[in-house]
Amino acid sequence: MHLFLLIGLVAFSILAILLRDLLKAAISLAVASIFLSVIFFRLNAPYAGVFEISVVAGLITVLFVATIALTRSEGDVRESKLPMILFPFFFVAFISIIINILIVRHLIQIPTVSIPPVSGSFGEILWRQRTFDIIGQIGVIFAGVFSVLALFRSRGRNG
Amino acid sequence: MDSFWVLNIWFVAILMFIGIYCLLTMRNLIKLFIGIEVIAKGITLALIATGFAKNNIMIAQSLAITFIVVEVSVVATALAIIINIYRHTGSLDIRKLTKLKG
Amino acid sequence: MIFLFIAVPFILASIMPLIGKISRRFLPDLLSNLALFFLLIYAMTIARQLVSGGGVVHQLYFFGAPLNIILLLDGFSLFMLFIISLVSFAVTLFSIDYMEHYGAKGIYYALLLLMIGGMNGLVLATDLFSIYLFLEIAAVASYGLVAYGLGHDELEASFKYLMLSAVASGFILISISIIFGIVGSLNLSDVASGLKTLNFKYAVGFCSALFILGFGLKAAIVPFHAWLPDAHPSAPAPISAMLSGLLIKVSGIYAMARVFLNVFGLQPHDYLSTVLMYLGIISMLVGAIIALGQNDIKRMLAYSSISQIGYVLLGIGLGTPLGIMGGLFHLFNHAIFKALLFLNSGSIENSTGTRALDKMGGLAKRMPITAATSAIGSLSIAGIPPLNGFWSKLIIIIALVEAKMFAFAFIAVLASVITLWYYLILQRRAFFGKLNETWKNIKEAPFWMSVSTIILGLLCIIIGIAFPIIIKSWLKPATDVLSAGIIYALNLLGF
Repeated sequence: MHLFLLIGLVAFSILAILLRDLLKAAISLAVASIFLSVIFFRLNAPYAGVFEISVVAGLITVLFVATIALTRSEGDVRESKLPMILFPFFFVAFISIIINILIVRHLIQIPTVSIPPVSGSFGEILWRQRTFDIIGQIGVIFAGVFSVLALFRSRGRNG
Repeated sequence: MDSFWVLNIWFVAILMFIGIYCLLTMRNLIKLFIGIEVIAKGITLALIATGFAKNNIMIAQSLAITFIVVEVSVVATALAIIINIYRHTGSLDIRKLTKLKG
Repeated sequence: MIFLFIAVPFILASIMPLIGKISRRFLPDLLSNLALFFLLIYAMTIARQLVSGGGVVHQLYFFGAPLNIILLLDGFSLFMLFIISLVSFAVTLFSIDYMEHYGAKGIYYALLLLMIGGMNGLVLATDLFSIYLFLEIAAVASYGLVAYGLGHDELEASFKYLMLSAVASGFILISISIIFGIVGSLNLSDVASGLKTLNFKYAVGFCSALFILGFGLKAAIVPFHAWLPDAHPSAPAPISAMLSGLLIKVSGIYAMARVFLNVFGLQPHDYLSTVLMYLGIISMLVGAIIALGQNDIKRMLAYSSISQIGYVLLGIGLGTPLGIMGGLFHLFNHAIFKALLFLNSGSIENSTGTRALDKMGGLAKRMPITAATSAIGSLSIAGIPPLNGFWSKLIIIIALVEAKMFAFAFIAVLASVITLWYYLILQRRAFFGKLNETWKNIKEAPFWMSVSTIILGLLCIIIGIAFPIIIKSWLKPATDVLSAGIIYALNLLGF
């Protein structure tokens, strides 16, 4: 079951980069997000799953569709056919390299440091243990908002 | 480490490959950005899978959520730049953006 | 209250757009400059307390109940905070006059303060993921600032910069999640102790490679330098000074040094050290040689940045205490004189409207202050005694000779000669010679722009003459932190 979800995620990502119509590519990116968040739910990460669906499959897809709508033109960029034909070859080559490395490395176990499992509800962990990250999140949201404001300011005086 | 984690990391590597392939070969600006989104999916999967394997899923969720917030800011800024490029040159072809030669 | 370094820029940045709506010119300028001046004085006075104590200061932030924000202020962090405050203060002084014709100063100052706050947070963090997060804050602010002028060049440069920087951040995060998988914690001291007990070479090597890919792109090391010669010239001049003087050092070299020296444990002559030194030498040569053929003044300065960062990487990658001291000293000096040179190029562009060297000529007669400070900056970066650049390059070369790497030392001297060559070309073509007729009536740079460049120029001279004091009070604590290596990080477990 998990393998099926992972293959679905990879398949829709491949579709997202190979499709020529931008709208269809954005939609297939959103479907890939849905597969990813189902994976998160199955891995006992419900908060991450909800966030992934609402933000990545929701907000980012809306931003993409808005941008595509704002940049429609008569002569759309036609991607060349060559990368799409070559893609399967590169993909299979990459997978075979990875399988080689995997078989070699699978014989070498990766040692890890065993730690006691951390307990606590999600809210506790986010607000108490990773408080510095909250400040960072606020900072990065402000940075994004101000960058967008700077890029869309009214150019009254000088361009 | 158990093989479940290794399986997930393998798929993360595949997603990174797909994303970087898109960045190297595609011409439309928005398509290039979809490549970066695929890379971001791979990274989120890596974070959560690692947290699951270490039995520490809560911290991994915090990290993944913080990363998604960062990703939204980057997407917003990049799409604003793309819209402005469209207003300037009227097309979304990266071959038209060759005035500066790194 | 070390937290003020992060809190003051962030809080001021969040209300800056409102202030910008109320008062177009006066209030944003005044508040930003006051804030940065306060941070600079604070950084200098904490130094007394720290140097006499000789130890690290951990801050557990109490606000009724202990909040889990742990900031690390040691010799290296304080050194970087001092550099950041100094160069940022000069840049905000410069921006008072320069950003007049760009408009919307409130948003500009907001983004600039966010970038400064992000860099401060990166320097003070104790957690690998926090380092990544504050690096992203500074990066997102810089994407907006590079594209600030909204011209064709700026947008193209900012887009390419964004693409490459996002991929680099991706590599950094993959490495962080692998480290999390192996060690189970992201705290710097836990990671250091975990990796030491495990002694698993392959994982450390793979994660180091990913970190070099990621942080190396942020620091613009060859072969990951492709974004810098486009992004730095297109940005407004004060932002070029911030990017070239601070961002590539803080988000690239500081993060690399902190992770490689304190967490992974880089020893002189081991594999990681050799890779870093080779990258440094290649950057040094490639940057210097390509800079020779440039016509755009800011592009020449951008390639020169790549070359000088090669010097810093060579010094820090060497791993011996003398090499680290030389690398850090050169980092400090380069921040000052590269900011000075970029701000001067902004003055030239403001007065003449061009950046092409073959169109300028004899500007010294009409812009004496700019010519004088630019001459000081060029001579410093070329390594002429007794200005500050000479001492830092000398220390790096002596460290190389001491470690018996004579070939590297020879190439370093060669690159220094090439640096002198192209800076002499810059000075001659731009300032000396016959006055080009088109520039008969240009004026000197406006008041605040001249003030900030004079401050930086005086600093070059003072640091060059008084360098033993600088070494004793600022550099020695920083070097001790880095050369203590893993032992230093393990002792952090105390809190």
